[in-house]
Amino acid sequence: MAEGAEKKVKKKATLLQRRDRKGYLFILPWLVGFIVFYVRSIIQTIQFSFNTLTMDAGVGGYALSWAGLENYRYAFTVHPTFKQILTTSVMDMVIDVPLIIFFSLFMAMLLNKEFKGRGLVRAIFFLPVLMNAGAITAALDLSATMMNGGVSGEVAETAGAASDAVAFSLDYLIDMFVSIGIPAKLLDYMVSAVERINDIIRASGVQIVIFIAALQSIPSSLYEVAKIEGATTYETFWKVTFPMVMPHIITNVVYTIVDSYSTSDVVELASSTAFTNFNYGLSAVFSLVSAVVTCAILVVVVNFIQKRTFYYT
Amino acid sequence: MANVNPAARNDLTAAELKKAERAAKKEAKRVAKIQNKKKPKKGKEKRLNRSMAGNTILFTLMIICGLFMVLPLVMIINNCLKPLDELYQFPPKIFVRNPTLENFSDLFVLMNDSWVPFSRYILNTIIITLGGMLGHVICASLAAYPLAKHKFPGRDLLFSMVVLSMMFSWQVTQIPQYLIISWLGINNTYAALILPAWSFGMGLYLMKQFMEQLPDSLMESARLDGATEWTIFWKIVMPNVKPAWLTLAIFQFQQMWANTGSIFLRDEQLKPMQFALQQITAGGTRRAGAAAAVTFIIAAVPITFFLICQRNVLETMTTSGMKD
Repeated sequence: MAEGAEKKVKKKATLLQRRDRKGYLFILPWLVGFIVFYVRSIIQTIQFSFNTLTMDAGVGGYALSWAGLENYRYAFTVHPTFKQILTTSVMDMVIDVPLIIFFSLFMAMLLNKEFKGRGLVRAIFFLPVLMNAGAITAALDLSATMMNGGVSGEVAETAGAASDAVAFSLDYLIDMFVSIGIPAKLLDYMVSAVERINDIIRASGVQIVIFIAALQSIPSSLYEVAKIEGATTYETFWKVTFPMVMPHIITNVVYTIVDSYSTSDVVELASSTAFTNFNYGLSAVFSLVSAVVTCAILVVVVNFIQKRTFYYT
Repeated sequence: MANVNPAARNDLTAAELKKAERAAKKEAKRVAKIQNKKKPKKGKEKRLNRSMAGNTILFTLMIICGLFMVLPLVMIINNCLKPLDELYQFPPKIFVRNPTLENFSDLFVLMNDSWVPFSRYILNTIIITLGGMLGHVICASLAAYPLAKHKFPGRDLLFSMVVLSMMFSWQVTQIPQYLIISWLGINNTYAALILPAWSFGMGLYLMKQFMEQLPDSLMESARLDGATEWTIFWKIVMPNVKPAWLTLAIFQFQQMWANTGSIFLRDEQLKPMQFALQQITAGGTRRAGAAAAVTFIIAAVPITFFLICQRNVLETMTTSGMKD
């Protein structure tokens, strides 16, 4: 009897292993492309960062000459704006990510309710994602220019900022709050949060969809139980809804960080260094350093949330 | 004779089937009516939870946020109907006064003048968009299944590689990408745009996160019934994460649709519509009317695609598929 049981366990283990080996077959088509297109390009970027790259017009290629850590030294000690842009990008991310997560969770909960025209409203909140095409942004810029009477956006912005009475009263309000004793850091955060409302709403389309899907996968029996036990809406949110969407909060945090990083100033700096200044080595350093910093943030944040995440299955 | 008989019987059964179907539809309607009658009652019960004032505040907030999002679209739609003098009106108006289709007829003139027949651009776009989207969704889902539900050596390493790779956006890896594409000899072909899209990390990441939520018991029961991994994937896993892969499809559709392919495609015959349209928009103020029409077309297609899929994405999220 005991022997039979042991045999069974052994057999099951090998079966499991065989099954898991089949997993590689499933991954294979994706993995080949991934290694060819992405891993190689990352490795090449690392290689560029240690070299000086010169274009060879005669042969039609490029030549690398070993520069060691020279590019890194230049980026950190000589380049005038890199460190500053890196810190602002990271700070922007730190401000934006929690706001986007809370906003999209809140919106998802609203959109998950039953009301007339729900489908339409959901579509509206997905619009920014759908209209994220180069030609559309160009056209919107063009129409914004037209709205300013032919003045380009930047000029209009500076002109507007110079004579803005609203900005003055905002400063006055902030001063008042500071003198009441509200920490200035918190006020700064809130002010920058308000300033970004438009960006935040525009950046949370995908997150809202993910949260809606997560909310709908919560079994209704849990809510039933909560109702029977006499839980209020508030309690139901914190004891049922929130723990159940926790795994998707991680998904969204990662998505948001990646999304906000790929449109950040650092990436812009890196690509302008490469394609307007033709300094590929330095550009590679910029993108590598900022990618490593972002990854470090990602790891810390995800670990922090993961420890507190509740997995239902 | 023997051949005719079964056919006749089939006809008979078909007629019967139709009858039965009609009856079933009637029944379904009746049930739906009853359910619809019941629903408002349920709603009233729910409404007890939150005050009217609270609801009003929440929905006002939602409407304000929604206005932010819908404004660009409203502008695009109105702009494409404005005659030229209204486009340049200052101070500008959002809504059109004398709507015309002039802009579209201007655009068609421009299209007819193009170097390559315009239908060719459309065909290119269809090939690139569909190829990139389908390949991406299938490859990402296939790879996500073992990553989410199987344990094998190197799994965590692979997954962290995926997350790392998402950090290198295309702007900064353009040069290595170009080198790889030309090394593969697929430069100046559709494949240069389609193949890299297949193995992009984001899709895999999203699919894996959703598949992890599926209860193991679903797959176990399929295995007990003798299903192979392949069958489990197509018959159990994919239908259950339908919202996830449809979301991914919409997302990827948008990305491929917005792709101008200007880096890899040199032949005019291979370039997508997006490129041709962008050229028209780049005409600046002289072509503002045609550009407004272009913007409308570019925006309209992904939105239509989204509206088609939307019901499936957001309305039918299968609950875990289990009787708890």
